[in-house]
Amino acid sequence: MNNENAWRFTIIGSIVSLLAGIVLIQLFRIQLNPKEVEHFLEQSKIYEGDWRPVYPIRGRIYDRYGHEMAGNTTVYEVGIQLNQVKNPHTIALTLNVLLGLDYAEINEIASREPSDKLIYAVVANNVTKEQIERLEKYKEEISRVYGGTRGEDTPSLAGLEYTPRLARSYPEQEIGAGILGFVNQEGEGFYGVEAWYDDLLSGDPQWVFIPRDPNRAEDLPNIPDGASLVLTIDRNIQANVEQILDDAVDSNGATSGTIVVIDPQTGEILAAATTPRMDLNKYSDYSKIFKGETPFNRVVSQAYEPGSVYKVLTMAAALDKGAVKPDTTFIDTGVIEVGGAYIYNWNSGAWGPQDMQGCLQHSLNVCLAWVATQLGAKDFYSYMRAFSIGHLTGVDMAGENPGRLKIPGDADWYDADLGTNAFGQGVSATPLQMATAISAVANEGKMMAPHIVRSIIDNGEQYNNEPRVLGIPIKKETAQTLTEMLSRSLEEEASDALVEGYRIAGKTGTAEIPTPYGYSSSATNASFVGWGPLDDPQFLVYVWLEKPTSSPWGSIVASPVFRQVVERLVVLMDIPPDRIRKALTANH
Amino acid sequence: MNSVRSLTQAYSQAPWRKQVKLIVLCLLLVVFIALVAGVYLSVTARAATIGREILLMQVDIDDIELEIADLNNQLAVITSSTEMEKRARDLGFEPIEMDQSFYLVVPGYTPREMVRLAPPPSPVTPVTSAMPEGYDESLIDWLRQRILMAGSLLED
Repeated sequence: MNNENAWRFTIIGSIVSLLAGIVLIQLFRIQLNPKEVEHFLEQSKIYEGDWRPVYPIRGRIYDRYGHEMAGNTTVYEVGIQLNQVKNPHTIALTLNVLLGLDYAEINEIASREPSDKLIYAVVANNVTKEQIERLEKYKEEISRVYGGTRGEDTPSLAGLEYTPRLARSYPEQEIGAGILGFVNQEGEGFYGVEAWYDDLLSGDPQWVFIPRDPNRAEDLPNIPDGASLVLTIDRNIQANVEQILDDAVDSNGATSGTIVVIDPQTGEILAAATTPRMDLNKYSDYSKIFKGETPFNRVVSQAYEPGSVYKVLTMAAALDKGAVKPDTTFIDTGVIEVGGAYIYNWNSGAWGPQDMQGCLQHSLNVCLAWVATQLGAKDFYSYMRAFSIGHLTGVDMAGENPGRLKIPGDADWYDADLGTNAFGQGVSATPLQMATAISAVANEGKMMAPHIVRSIIDNGEQYNNEPRVLGIPIKKETAQTLTEMLSRSLEEEASDALVEGYRIAGKTGTAEIPTPYGYSSSATNASFVGWGPLDDPQFLVYVWLEKPTSSPWGSIVASPVFRQVVERLVVLMDIPPDRIRKALTANH
Repeated sequence: MNSVRSLTQAYSQAPWRKQVKLIVLCLLLVVFIALVAGVYLSVTARAATIGREILLMQVDIDDIELEIADLNNQLAVITSSTEMEKRARDLGFEPIEMDQSFYLVVPGYTPREMVRLAPPPSPVTPVTSAMPEGYDESLIDWLRQRILMAGSLLED
């Protein structure tokens, strides 16, 4: 090499080496200096990804045979990304035409300047898939026609965004509304099963890190869906009972109506119909339909004075204690004095000598008040508490009312209450409480805990809810004896509740309604409770019509409703007439 | 001395050979580094691509879940009590009345049972990880950890 030029290569080499050295020194300085490392790591975290809450899919609700009563459907949230808007007018006009939103309002929102506090504005929620598809087509059309044009007035839907989410859907609409309850936009359950099992149905939301760096992509944690529920109700029975109830309320001019059907041997609620009801998909109509203090589900929430159906419990207690026997004779003079109050029969008449079946058959207030005095206050109220009157049944639906049973020692209990409580006045209970209490008579003395959920499906496994005994208030023999008495009562009275081919037991009820000025006899609560088949009860039906105007009497308005319900039940539940059923049993 | 010098000269390499050797060694080192870098880039690019696909698949999973929920809902609406009754009536069916029922004995008939949507609970088994420890860290993460540890030691 020429020594005259060697110094040039040396200088170039030195400069390059110096540069390389600087790079290396910087490399090591940045990566080894903990403060620098921390600074750059902090900066990188902004771009790493986001923490987001992930909400599990809400569990579904089925009837006992797997028909979906509550599920989920996709709806969209429509919003405007303010920093991307090019033409607010186009957005406002489009949303006005396609979604029916107010033009001026949307135009004002879309015209807002984005700021630190406002980047994105939600303009519509629960938009259906069909509407979004129309929006998409329109967006594509605008993009196709005006895509290449620029200008302030160029139509553009830039900034308009829609995000899908799942919302609750009720395919059966009104059917079973009182039982199910509903879920609002925030995913919170109200009333019924949706409220009672809200935590189980909604599952556990989790915060999940969603990385932007594809090298950090990994399996998201498996967030299980909310638990699903299988109810005890039969959708077909529920629908039929609701239809019968609606017809009964209309034809009798009643203010409201309630029908409960339970299986007395298990406590499963097969149907619980009430008025009014609403389409659960339109829960915003709630305040229009349920005015004032109208309960959402009278079956569990409305306590009322049940009247003569309560006599079943009074007689059961007296027979069980031995205070009276079926053939005990009572001379009915038409009036009895208990604790200073005079009690009369429903027709103010005297019925003369009556056995206990006669007292039930003719629904004699005087006789039953006498029976309660024979039992004594201590035993009477002890039995009533054993029947769970004045207590919650513990049914798994929100909004249960415990009712009220005044007992000796309460400030507002008087001696006269023993007489009036005996025939169901001065005591309040919900239809479900009454049905549960009387189910002890139908089920050989055992009162089963009423429940609406049969199974819970969680994490791919089905957990069945086993029947539970709530109490055994009376003996098996008492239950059988009283059932026979009540069955014969209906037969001898040629009651409208009788169902051809099936032996049933039951009791009517007509209760005066308390007012601030005393009891009103012009408006009544008409009830009927009955069960069957007698030798193997599969159903217990409780009917209550509030303030019927066609007739005040339970025997006239409520008994036929019971019969109609049973006539449908025996078909839907495949219960052959007694003659055939017994023949089949004998052959086996 | 001359013989030693001659021998040394005979067996020593020419300066230009030494230079070529040095250049070749440097080039080999560069090629080696280039190969490692190439392999690293290739693997990293594939990992990044697969990572991106995973992220996209997670979005697809969300979309499919929404679609499943919609289809289930559509099925429920189609088979709802109101719809089924309407279709039955349109086909000429009527609800059967109690006195129209005719009962037949069918040997082996089993009545309709409650729905079973999932198996009953099974005994709990301990969960074992599918991936052995030591296989969940990349080379870069390992190097980064080592450099940070070295930096902390130097600072101490």
